[in-house]
Amino acid sequence: MADLVHVDRAVARRILGGDEEAFRELFDRFFPRLYRFALARTDGDRELAQDIVQQTFCNAIDRLDSYRGEAALYTWFCQICRNALTDHFRRDGRVPGRVVLLEDLPNARAVLESLAAPAADQPDVGAWREQLHRIVEATLDALPGRYGEALEWKYIDGLSVREIGERLKLSEKAAESLLSRARESFRDAISGMI
Amino acid sequence: MESDMDLVESLIRKAGRRIEPPAAASRQVYAAASAALREKLSRRRGRIQLAWAAAAAVLALAVTLVLRWASPGVQQGELARVARAHGNVELAMGDAWRPLAAAQTRLAAGSRIRTLENGRAALELAGGESLRLAAGTEVMLDAPGRVYVRRGRIYVDSGERPGASRIEIVTPAGTARDLGTQFELQVAGAALRLRVREGRVAIDRGGRSITGSAGEQISIDGLDGEERGAIAPDAPEWQWAEAIAPTPDMDGRPVAALISWVARETGRRLRYESPVVEQRASTVILHGDIRNLPPLAALEAMLATTDLVYVLDGDTMEIHVRSVAPAGP
Repeated sequence: MADLVHVDRAVARRILGGDEEAFRELFDRFFPRLYRFALARTDGDRELAQDIVQQTFCNAIDRLDSYRGEAALYTWFCQICRNALTDHFRRDGRVPGRVVLLEDLPNARAVLESLAAPAADQPDVGAWREQLHRIVEATLDALPGRYGEALEWKYIDGLSVREIGERLKLSEKAAESLLSRARESFRDAISGMI
Repeated sequence: MESDMDLVESLIRKAGRRIEPPAAASRQVYAAASAALREKLSRRRGRIQLAWAAAAAVLALAVTLVLRWASPGVQQGELARVARAHGNVELAMGDAWRPLAAAQTRLAAGSRIRTLENGRAALELAGGESLRLAAGTEVMLDAPGRVYVRRGRIYVDSGERPGASRIEIVTPAGTARDLGTQFELQVAGAALRLRVREGRVAIDRGGRSITGSAGEQISIDGLDGEERGAIAPDAPEWQWAEAIAPTPDMDGRPVAALISWVARETGRRLRYESPVVEQRASTVILHGDIRNLPPLAALEAMLATTDLVYVLDGDTMEIHVRSVAPAGP
């Protein structure tokens, strides 16, 4: 965590120094994650989610010189995104359809206490799948670096360790080690919720 | 219970792939974020330059004051001057907003100006272009020929010299470059509306290029949906920009100069009744002050002292010699 924050502080400094490549890298890393973060909190309203994320980036850039590395940069962006959502709903004078998400609760056992999914013909199977999707998505998004992508490549795309290494420009051994750390981080993150 | 290793695999497989945001959304947000970053960096540079400039400014103050107030145009090192303001207009250099003290305020790089609900302003840029702000608009002067529009509605008149101006308007929703023209741009989040009164305007929207020509209105929504319509150069939609138009100093100039200015400001073609009338307009010299009058009211007031009159016929303004009423019995 300390290393991550150290790196994040350096990224912020590079961006404020006018390093466009650093900004592009940060954008590519954060945009999809923040978009999903906002989408889950706007009842799936894609246009609104996009506006909120745009506001988040503009606000974060405006305050970037106040970032002192108290938390990871992504966590800091998420807080700004939460504030943008709160401001939006306050201005709009309406209550969002889903204010509290399962992954925002300290205990998400309801979803994960059993991996035995309801039978496909049971009425709550859709809701169960959606909740599971959200909580895993949020967990993958919260992982540092490219751990989330590596796990998806491994378990959804079925890529070999060597292929993952090629994508990440790492040796096979380094890729194996990264996957191991990614699995560990995922386990830690998800067990913190249940 | 499945093992920890199986738990990771099983959960990820069952949850499926994460949702990918649309490419258009990514492009638009990146364009907006890049523009915000450029604005931020420009403000930081402005603050640093301001600190260094402070010492030098003390030495140069007396000379500068004399020179500046002696001539009304934009001075070297300044990007614009406030030519006209109405209602609540505020300025910021750095982060603190303060009410605009008086018109003629000179603006350097990094200056920000905003109009509140009842405010409007007209700036004269260093390149001679006129930039007008409707109510609820915020802009920052970034560099010579480059203005950042954070939100609201602006009108640009880059003059009658074809190809003379290449002003760049950067907004969170795309960047507009004029090709010698009059146009209006409205920005609201990722949505953009362009109205072209004269000439052409090119918009770069995250790598996608859109060009609008005279008489066109183009609306682009946050999801990149594009709708094109028509707008006449003398349509009522332009009236807000006419109302805040900075009035040129016409004292001692021929009436033809005033007539040309009014025709341009109101988006009308100009026609003289005859070459003789045109010649007459170029020899009659105006005296008086038309400051802060809307274009047609200014023309009305000035022509009342001459033997010329104007007639509006659709999109054309015709200039005639006043007919003398026949003497009564």
